[in-house]
Amino acid sequence: MTFREKLESGKFVITAEVGPPKGTDITEMVHHIELLKGKVDAINITDNQSAVMRMNSLSGCVICLQHGVEPILQVTCRDRNRIGLQSDILGAYVLGVRNILCMTGDHVSAGDHKDAKPVYDIESVGLIKTVQGLNNGKDLSGTDLKGKTDFYIGAVVTPEANPLEPQLMKFEKKIRAGAKFFQTQAVYDMERLKEFMKFARQYPVKIIAGLVVLKSAGMANFLNTNVPGIRVPQELIDELKSAGKEKALDTGLNITARHIRQIYEEKICDGVHVMAIGMEDKVPVILERAGLL
Amino acid sequence: MIITKKKDFQELYENIKGYRSFFLLGCSECATLCGTGGEPELKELKETLEGLGKEVTGTFVAKTGCQVLGTKVELKPFKEAIDRAECIIVLSCGAGTQTAVELYEDKPVYPANDSLFLGNMTRFQFFDERCSLCGKCILDKTGGICPITTCPKGLLHGPCGGMKDGHCEVSPELQCAWVRIYERMKRLNKLDELREFIMEPKEWSKAQKPRSHYEKKEKAKKVTAK
Repeated sequence: MTFREKLESGKFVITAEVGPPKGTDITEMVHHIELLKGKVDAINITDNQSAVMRMNSLSGCVICLQHGVEPILQVTCRDRNRIGLQSDILGAYVLGVRNILCMTGDHVSAGDHKDAKPVYDIESVGLIKTVQGLNNGKDLSGTDLKGKTDFYIGAVVTPEANPLEPQLMKFEKKIRAGAKFFQTQAVYDMERLKEFMKFARQYPVKIIAGLVVLKSAGMANFLNTNVPGIRVPQELIDELKSAGKEKALDTGLNITARHIRQIYEEKICDGVHVMAIGMEDKVPVILERAGLL
Repeated sequence: MIITKKKDFQELYENIKGYRSFFLLGCSECATLCGTGGEPELKELKETLEGLGKEVTGTFVAKTGCQVLGTKVELKPFKEAIDRAECIIVLSCGAGTQTAVELYEDKPVYPANDSLFLGNMTRFQFFDERCSLCGKCILDKTGGICPITTCPKGLLHGPCGGMKDGHCEVSPELQCAWVRIYERMKRLNKLDELREFIMEPKEWSKAQKPRSHYEKKEKAKKVTAK
């Protein structure tokens, strides 16, 4: 069963994230893919995440396929205009990629090439519409394609955005443009996630909850202060603090595992997306503790 | 207006140090309002150059420096002073500088300013970019607030994931353009309009450089209500 078939048939899915290397040495990336193989339903390959230049997402996806894991091609609109995007997306389809996650992309000012010209010729909603068009056999200029794509189109949403209303408006637009599944920004407050899901459940789309492992109370505070759309509740920060330095990471893994378990048991969302950010090797441990392995 | 900023004098001087005599040309519109090309700035540059042993053969603040024909007429009385100058320094925007280039084919022309953007003066000599001259105005769709210009990503459908507490991740001092648009449309009771609308990708062909525009003079037609 493919990732799409699993989600659409109501099976709880697990996805994880792997970032391509900065350079040509793919040893670590392949190691992470092998580690996650059989334990997750698909792996997101990031697209120059945080605007830091790396090997491209498409190559990472092909490597995933070579290792027998289904990839989700992350595509941002920061670095390519509508011609470049469509062309790469067609290429991805031909090479066997079937899932795509459409994003606007972090601004170049966040990354390591701050003098680069940001493109944003189209943006997330426009990109979703574009891929929907490719699925229907037409490019963005309305010209017929010789062979169309059949992508499972995904997008992102930030349930903890503040203010939330404009974000929900964009969420609705993404659905109208053709998004079928969503992977969320990291969530830590299960009650607030349920609130968001009450809204999201009005729509026939699948929602995969994003989870980022907390390594320490310091990291939690950093996320709260610096990362838009992430809110770690005080009780989790206290839990990490009281665990002490040595056990903080272990506690963080437990928190993520506990959240996964709750999301699964209470059917809050249709799956979970674990963003380990450099700790991909811990993902199996988390899934085991969540009772999903 | 076109917002300009005085170049660092050293940078300007590197360009002009080989010349001995100069004519200084300012502009009474944007550059004067920006404090980069009015009478006081011309006087200041004249004194600086003279202090360095250079000659200033004349100075003039054009009414509208980007108006080529008007400026040509205005500069007629200065023919002798301009002829005597080895070089013209223009204290206005890049458009004004190129007016001088067009009028004086055989004379070197140097800009004294950097041209920054099209903006509004929101406080005295405090400028904010409000319009990108993109060629196809969408203010009618966005409550009169331009996301092409005031969102660093130029987004068309709502805030990005970088919005934090109503502010922009790229420039935290900036309010998120899309939160502003949303709030304004809410106040105007037009949220449904904003929610329903998915904009077509921007027609960047309308901004293809260099642009020319010529409004044909037609006989004024009376607009009659049907």
